[in-house]
Amino acid sequence: MSPIVKNVAVVLVIPITMFGLYIILHGHLTPGGGFPGGAIMASLVVLFFVAFGKEWAKKINKGILFFGESFGLALFGLLAFLGLGTSFFHNFLANSDSLFGMSIPFGANSGFLWSGGIIPLMNIAVGLEVFAALSIIAVVMFLENGKVMFSEKENNVGGKK
Amino acid sequence: MEKSIKISVLVLLCAFLLMAGMLMHNEDMPDSTPMDDYFIENGQVQTGSNNIVAAIVFDYRGLDTLGEASVLFGAATGVLIALGVKKSG
Amino acid sequence: MIFEILQAVLLLGIVVSGLLAVKSSDLLRAVIFLAAMSMLLSAQFYLLQAPDVAIAEAAVGAGLSTAIFVIAISKTERWENGKKH
Repeated sequence: MSPIVKNVAVVLVIPITMFGLYIILHGHLTPGGGFPGGAIMASLVVLFFVAFGKEWAKKINKGILFFGESFGLALFGLLAFLGLGTSFFHNFLANSDSLFGMSIPFGANSGFLWSGGIIPLMNIAVGLEVFAALSIIAVVMFLENGKVMFSEKENNVGGKK
Repeated sequence: MEKSIKISVLVLLCAFLLMAGMLMHNEDMPDSTPMDDYFIENGQVQTGSNNIVAAIVFDYRGLDTLGEASVLFGAATGVLIALGVKKSG
Repeated sequence: MIFEILQAVLLLGIVVSGLLAVKSSDLLRAVIFLAAMSMLLSAQFYLLQAPDVAIAEAAVGAGLSTAIFVIAISKTERWENGKKH
């Protein structure tokens, strides 16, 4: 792509990352959550594909992305199982004055970031998983050579091999 | 001729669905159930999260979200297995 | 009243862009119409007071799925039925 697109893509790294992290971290206060935030951060990866092409996409380590995806899902399941003293998916951290344990009153208020119990932690886990999973899908599809399956099938049909 | 028959069948089906939907449910506010009232009254205090949607999605109905995350995990892993391996030659 | 008019315009735009996406034989143009439909649907969700769904629809429908469709089209063919190579 042209240098304008490349420079704008580099400039947009910090705003898009900040917006995605904001959507993920404030998932228990404002509309949003882990799924849209992870999708926003994965769209940054796709923007870099458009700007820098295959040479940049080949540098991405798919193992790290797969580890992040697995780690996010495992953290989500682990947080679900940790509340098993009461029930599955019990919010054992809410109103406990420990990690994310601040209590909030009933009614319309602006809320605190340090509240919500396991909900912010689950938002972070799901955000990591969605970001890694959508990035893996985009990377693998972008690096795939076109028409490989079709040409193989045509060769087999023709019977010339 | 055949196309006009198809279009008329489609229009009739759409009209039937629209009428059935209007007969089944009045187009006013949806019915309030005890479950909704419970979530609205207790969700904010019990989970400490101001966003009731997040409280329901990640806490009360967390098992559904676990299934959704597993579906996405399976999709990405399937794409990685089917297309991510380099073909030799 | 202005609310109903805005909703009617948005619904009409959703139907029109969906029809254009189906009828267009240029697949790239169909994908752009699909993204426009997704964006209008997101605005409709926001008007119906479902901001969570609106954000998810805008991020996934208008952002990522468009990019993945464009990647898939760039690997195969741009025109339907192989016309206009």
